[in-house]
This record gives sequence, structure tokens and C-alpha cells, in this order.
Amino acid sequence: MADIALLKRLCEANGVSGSEEEVRAIILGEVKGCAESIEVDALGNVIVFKQGRRTPRTRLMLSAHMDEVGLIVTHIMADGLLKFAEVGGIDRRVLCGTPVLVNGEIPGVVGAKPIHLMKSDEREKSVPVEDLYIDIGATDKEEAESFVLPGDIVTFDSFFDTSHGKIKSRALDDRAGCVIMIDMIKGELPYDMTFAFVVQEEIGLRGAKTAAYQISPQAAIVVETTTAADVADVDENKRVCRVGKGPVLSFMDRHTVYDKEYYKLAMELAQNNNIPCQPKEAVAGGNDAGAIHSAGSGARTVAVSVACRYLHAPMGLISQEDFHNAEKLVMKLAEEIASRPPTR
Amino acid sequence: MENLQNLKELVFLLCSAPGTPGDEHAAAQAAQEELEKYGRTVVDHMGNVLCELGDPSAARHILLDAHIDQIGMIVTTIDAEGFLRIAPCGGVDRRVLPGSPVVVYGKEKAFGIVCCLPPHLVEGGEDKVAPVDKMAVDVGMEKEQASKLFAPGDRVLLYSNPRTLLSNRITSAGLDDRAGAAVLLRCAELLSRKPLRSHVTVLLSSREEVGGQGARTAAYSLQPTEAIVVDVSFASQPGVPETKCGKLGMGPMIGLGPSIDRCMAEDLAEVARDLELPYQFEVMGGETGTNADGITTSREGVCCVTMSVPLRYMHTTAEVVDLADIETTAQIITEYVMGVK
Repeated sequence: MADIALLKRLCEANGVSGSEEEVRAIILGEVKGCAESIEVDALGNVIVFKQGRRTPRTRLMLSAHMDEVGLIVTHIMADGLLKFAEVGGIDRRVLCGTPVLVNGEIPGVVGAKPIHLMKSDEREKSVPVEDLYIDIGATDKEEAESFVLPGDIVTFDSFFDTSHGKIKSRALDDRAGCVIMIDMIKGELPYDMTFAFVVQEEIGLRGAKTAAYQISPQAAIVVETTTAADVADVDENKRVCRVGKGPVLSFMDRHTVYDKEYYKLAMELAQNNNIPCQPKEAVAGGNDAGAIHSAGSGARTVAVSVACRYLHAPMGLISQEDFHNAEKLVMKLAEEIASRPPTR
Repeated sequence: MENLQNLKELVFLLCSAPGTPGDEHAAAQAAQEELEKYGRTVVDHMGNVLCELGDPSAARHILLDAHIDQIGMIVTTIDAEGFLRIAPCGGVDRRVLPGSPVVVYGKEKAFGIVCCLPPHLVEGGEDKVAPVDKMAVDVGMEKEQASKLFAPGDRVLLYSNPRTLLSNRITSAGLDDRAGAAVLLRCAELLSRKPLRSHVTVLLSSREEVGGQGARTAAYSLQPTEAIVVDVSFASQPGVPETKCGKLGMGPMIGLGPSIDRCMAEDLAEVARDLELPYQFEVMGGETGTNADGITTSREGVCCVTMSVPLRYMHTTAEVVDLADIETTAQIITEYVMGVK
């Protein structure tokens, strides 16, 4: 069963797209000695090939991304404040007035104009990113530059909480997927399969594309988190998926129409093995399946996700039970897909 | 300034103790434990913390006030799905709430997140922010479990991890007005070292953020001859015209205006000049929007002035002050009080 303490370590590590070093180092340390081949490619993907008890009939790739959304310092102003750009689709409403860390260690805050000084219509609106800045306490540009430079990476200053059967943390998207894959690598597998811990998902599914090129899979399972909108005041019909109702299976999103047979197979396996699961009730969002299913000559792809509220905000929320059940389902699905021939 | 490390620890201690309007207990207790080192300290029926210094029989009784409450939210109901509906308790900035981590103080302390809709579900994208009383807190529980731990009236605070920034600056939620409270704790420390000719009461008042009822009732009971109110005020930051604020690191903002005492303001400025400490003026055209408004019109009236610690990002989790300003304010007030006969 996947280790929540490892999930904590990974969530607390910094790995904004393009700067996944810390996360990669932890993963390499965890999988060392557990697989026949462990490689790091030009973009920083970690590609792990592990033999199972038998040779599979389908060449299977599992994928989870190491990167998280964050910010990048673009400019240091004369007064010592930092301008920034978003890396990945951060929800900009959550930026205003938020504590952050530059390079994982310099504390700062994203400034916000005091409400007392705003006109009434201003109070209702979230602030556009161009009007935001990070304050690290520097009094001028020179002071700021001795600690921070343009190109430095910024993450939310958050914490990891596991009370009441939930996990609340930054970067559950997609360290949760990474931990599930690490746990599979550490155990015994029924068939050979390749695991790709990929980079730069959040800025355009980029690592997955190059990983898929190298692996050339016939089938792929993407292990992800996905937006749960089961929060206050959301219509039942718009909730997409629900925390605590099991791993989420998607039939279609903005980048992929998933393999219909595999989608149904996953549902059946869940039912037959008493694993709760739920469909993603919207065509929304996207993940590395977008790059993988259309790479090379194509791969039959399915995604298994953990329902997560407040994705791309300082604290996401998932259910511990969903996290463990997602792993169970991925393992069953991987075994079944690998055992079958790739074509219908 | 060698005291800044100790001062920072004091400020962080105060910021870590929660206290929202009408429920200041934990913050009051933390402050009381500190103040007791310097003078007899009590907490009254309104939740005000009062510390007596100097000579109670002296003709002049100086009231030094800072408010011990900070803004927060209050649970109004637990809905059918276990989300905690909230209302603001003080002037919470609604823009910073969606998606923010919070702490709920029920039968146990629990972490929650203020519900926010994923962007793709919001009509018109990410632009509009709902009013606070239409927001809810997600503690990740079903109604039954939530009802065992939480109840209407429970308080909710923004989660904050006090941090040290560059240049003597610090950030935490609640610096409004724990920074002011720290000023007065430091004054009490300095004043207790020497004999005082006047009667001084350090008041850490309750309920400032909802109308100043703590300070108003305390002033009525204490009947001071004069008062200095230490709150926070706006420090320059982008998007706020320089003409409307003070500056971090430039010392306390001494209030000037029709509702406060001009002589006291000028005397404080003179003390600052004699000590060669920085200060700035904050000019206001009407009332001050601080406890001074209630204190000045207490009984037959009280001479009163404001001294504010410059602060950025007011009423967010990310408030920022300069420790040097807290120390400077404390030193100026101390010297002023020492000089009172």
C-alpha cells in the first residue's frame, strides 16, 4: 500500500514545471535497486523499466507527472518587489494575499491592495496577474537581487495535513500519481511494464510526449488527480466527480477521447474487485494522455485519477481511501491490459 | 537594534494565539502572561486585558491602547453536506479567501479550505468573488462528523505561518493589531524598569474590528486623562497612491486630524526628534477608524492621539510590518510617558 509519509516528502519538495530536480531526486532514491533499468532523459523524465513474472502481450506504459503549477520571477523592480508569471494554469483568484516561497526557501507574500482603500466595485473582483507582485521584504532592487533573480521559481507556502481520512496539501497533483507508481515499482509485478515519471505536464504535456516516443507503448495508463467540484453551492450536475467515491475514470476530456474498451474494462475490474469507482462527469481539463495516445503511431490509453478539490490552489484535498483504491485499480488494470493482446 | 530578535519572537507568539472579535480569549491569555511580568494584569468582563503601571494616585492617567482581536470568520451553520457556512467577523478581504487554508476552532482545531469553484465552472471565468457570507469552509467531513466537532458560532481564522522576510520585515496574519500589542508589551517592559510619576494602564482591547466596544467600555471604566491608541495603518505598496500612506521602516505614523489631539501629536513628534528616531504623520480628515474614535468621546472627553505601525496588505494572511517600526514606536511612547508629570 502506498506510503503517505512518502507522499508528504514528495508534496513538500519543490517541482514547478521545468524545475523538477528535487522531486526527481526523491523518486530516484526510492526506486533505486527495484528495477532493471532506470534512466533520466534529456528533459528530465525518469523512465523505469521493471520486469514482471511474465512477458506481457501488450507493451504497457504507466505515467504520472512530477511537476506542479507555480510562479516564475520575471522582473525585479526598483523598489525590491518582484513581478512574476504563472507556470501552468494556476487559479489566479488564489494568488492575492498568499504566502509563497522563492526557491523553496525565501519567504514572500503576493501583495494585495487593502480593501479599505478600494472602490466598492474593486472589492468584488479578483486581481489580474499583471497587477500582482511578490514582496520578500527587500527595500530596493539591489537587496532583492542578492537573494532572488529573474527565472527563480516560486511555490505556495503551504503544509501537509492528514486528519480525518483526508489529505490536504500542495502538489497532490500529481505527486499522488507518482507515489502510486513508486509503490508498484517496489513490489512484484505480474508483467513487465514501463513507468514514466514525466516533466512539464502543466505547461503542455511535454515530458509525456518525449517519454512516449522513447517507450513506444501499445497501451498506457495515466495515473493522475482530477478536479472534484463537489463543493458548496455547486449544482449536483456540475460536480464532475466526488471525493471519497473512489478512483475516477474518464471517457473524454479536452485532449483525449479515451480507449472505450479500456474505460469499460476499468469499470468492470473495479466492480468485480469491490473497488469503488466513479466516472468523470464532464468533458473538461486534460492530462498526459493527450500526448501519449497520439504519440508515434498511437497508443490505447486510459486514465485513473484521484478526485481532488482545489486543484492548482495552495491546498488540494483528496481522500486517503480514494488514494489507496486508485492504486488497487491501477494494479488490476495494468495486469489485465498487459495480459491481453494490444488489438481487439 | 539588538532587541529585534526578542521582539520578533514576541510578535510571532502573539500572532500564533488566535483571537477574533468577542472571542479573544487565547490571544488575551498569551498577552496577559507577558504583561504580568511588568504589572498587575487582569482580563475584564468584556475580554479586555488591563495592566496597571506607575502610581495609581497620580493626577494624570495615561491609557495606552492596542486591540487584541484580529479579523476572522464565524460559522453560521453546517450544511447538509458538511460544509461550514460562514460570515465575516470584522472586515475580511473576500478576494483572498477562495481556496485559502483556514483553521476552524471547534471542539478541536481543524484545518479547512475555503470552497472555491474550479475556474471552468465559473460563469465569466475567474473574475467575480462572492461576498463572504456566501462562502463556505470545507473541512472534508460529512455533516454528521462535522456536527460532532463544530457548531454555529465557532471561529475560523486564516491559516498563517509567521515568516521572517528581508530587512527586519516579518509577515503573518493578525499583525493588525498584534504589532500594536507588541508595541505596548515592549512599552510595559521599558516602563517597568524605572519609577513612573503618572498612572499608566496598558489596555489590549477586545472587539475593535466590529465597532470598538472593548476600548469604549474600558475608557469609561478607567477614566484616563489622555490616551495613545496604537493600531496599524497603510504602508506604501503598488496600487496605493503614496499620498494615502506611510512607509515601512520610517517609524510610527502619528495621527493628525480634527478628531484627535494636535498637541499630543506634536509632543510625540518632538520626543521622536529628541531621540533621533524616525516618525511620520498620518493626516486624516474625519474620524480615525480606530479605537481613538470611541475613546476621545468617552464621558466628558479624553485627549487622544493615534500612533500606527505601517503595514502592508492589511486584512490578508500576508500582512507585513517592519520590526524596527514596532521598536521605534515603543521607544517614543515610553519616553513620552516618562516625561509626563
